[in-house]
Amino acid sequence: MFYDLNVPYAQGDATLPRTLAFINELGYNVVALNHSIAGKLPAQISCAIPDPLPFKDLPPKLEIRRRVTLTLTESYQNARLAELARAYNILAVRPIDERTLQLACGSLDCDIISLDLTQRLPFYFKFKMLSEAVKSGKRLELCYSQGVLGDSSARRNLISNATQLIRASRGRGLIISSEAKAAVGCRGPWDAINLATIWGLAQDRGFEAMSKEARGVVVSAQLKRTGYRGVIDMVYGGEKPALSEIAGQGSAVKGKQQVPKRKADDGEAVEKPISKREAKRRKHEARMSGGTNPGTSNRDGPTQPAIAAPAESTTEETTDVQSAATPNSA
Amino acid sequence: MVRIKHRYLLINILYPDPKSTSGRPATKPGDEVPYTVQFRRPSPDRMDGGVLTRLIRDGVAELFGDYGSGKVAGSLQVKYFSQATSTAIVRVSRDHYRLVWAALTFATRLPNPVGQPCVIQVVRVSGTIRKSEEEAIRRARLSIRQAEAAAKSSNAATAGLAAATPQLLSTEDDDVDMINGIEDPDDPRDIEEDLDDEG
Repeated sequence: MFYDLNVPYAQGDATLPRTLAFINELGYNVVALNHSIAGKLPAQISCAIPDPLPFKDLPPKLEIRRRVTLTLTESYQNARLAELARAYNILAVRPIDERTLQLACGSLDCDIISLDLTQRLPFYFKFKMLSEAVKSGKRLELCYSQGVLGDSSARRNLISNATQLIRASRGRGLIISSEAKAAVGCRGPWDAINLATIWGLAQDRGFEAMSKEARGVVVSAQLKRTGYRGVIDMVYGGEKPALSEIAGQGSAVKGKQQVPKRKADDGEAVEKPISKREAKRRKHEARMSGGTNPGTSNRDGPTQPAIAAPAESTTEETTDVQSAATPNSA
Repeated sequence: MVRIKHRYLLINILYPDPKSTSGRPATKPGDEVPYTVQFRRPSPDRMDGGVLTRLIRDGVAELFGDYGSGKVAGSLQVKYFSQATSTAIVRVSRDHYRLVWAALTFATRLPNPVGQPCVIQVVRVSGTIRKSEEEAIRRARLSIRQAEAAAKSSNAATAGLAAATPQLLSTEDDDVDMINGIEDPDDPRDIEEDLDDEG
């Protein structure tokens, strides 16, 4: 499986089906259409790449993802990054100097860190910074097409920066992609791997960069968006239960809880089922006030009613049975 | 006698842009040539092995300078070129085949008598010309079948025939699983012979 995660998308580009067919012909299986944003984010964040694409003769076996690349200039707003990330499948950032690279590798929550390698970068890459990024799941991107199509100085800068990047990252955590604005800028996957080999990346790492690492980016980006604490995705949320069934809620039904995931704006007024802590407290109170309850097997014994207050708002989905004793950590 | 080891690169020349002059009397006006066929169309008449050699030499000179040219010049030869299938087999010395490969990757258009934008894709690297030939034949057969399937599916517009294509594509995926990729490992017989001559 070969991935090309950077195919620039321009609004109203009629040659896109041809470009995608060409990329498919070269042997790629998954592409990501890339929309670039520089500077301030627009007031309404929505995906600029329509879904489904308005072309009719796209190659059927090619999977298409949607990606945005945000150039980190001075005036970017960190707060809306999460919103931007949710509108697209993959979020990439493009730092322009050392400070923004530091930010991107450290605190920003993105999937890909992409640099414009055809410019002379005024700083050196440091292994510590890059490995910190790779450890938290971000990948560094090498784009080859601008050097292939560009002039001599673009090529020189690309080779120099790519060599430094490969050396500083020790071959790990890289992905290779074209940034091909036209079909003529795309190259076959093995050709791109050969280029990376000349620039210093070992052959097997190059193969990984095109297939395994790129797949990792796509999959973990998806998990970040649809997963929550060990649940990969909600396929079927179950029916709304009758109220009498809730009190005897068993433990640990992963992903099939009646409560939808964290979606506060679910339209209909869902009757919030009682949490386990609340159910236990009620049983305890019933017992204390003289009800004839056979010993409910609570491992923690009678819980103090003082923990009560935030209990109702907890919606627990995972198999964490001991969570009754832990403070509200949602 | 020291045996010179070679690598034979099997390359495809793909034409991503639409044909500028439509001079095909056989096509009916409503009939769309599928993309597969368009990209792998025959090379223009002026294109031949000599033009390709010139393309490679110029590319290596531009990318790797006099050093690269010198290293590669001794054993660079276009062994086979087919205009109809836009396929070629290029021989390079084993130690520097990556330079020639890079020069081919960086090529964006064919040189002047031809002058068309192109994309060159290396599909096989092997130590003997025999293996490259076999691969060329296998790929030619595969692309004929793919073109037929594409033409049928666009004419008939049924989903049923699309079932045939996954089968074709899965044979291509066999190449991909090898970490060596498209490079054939050295034939052990060749290596043994060479070891005798190493000195």
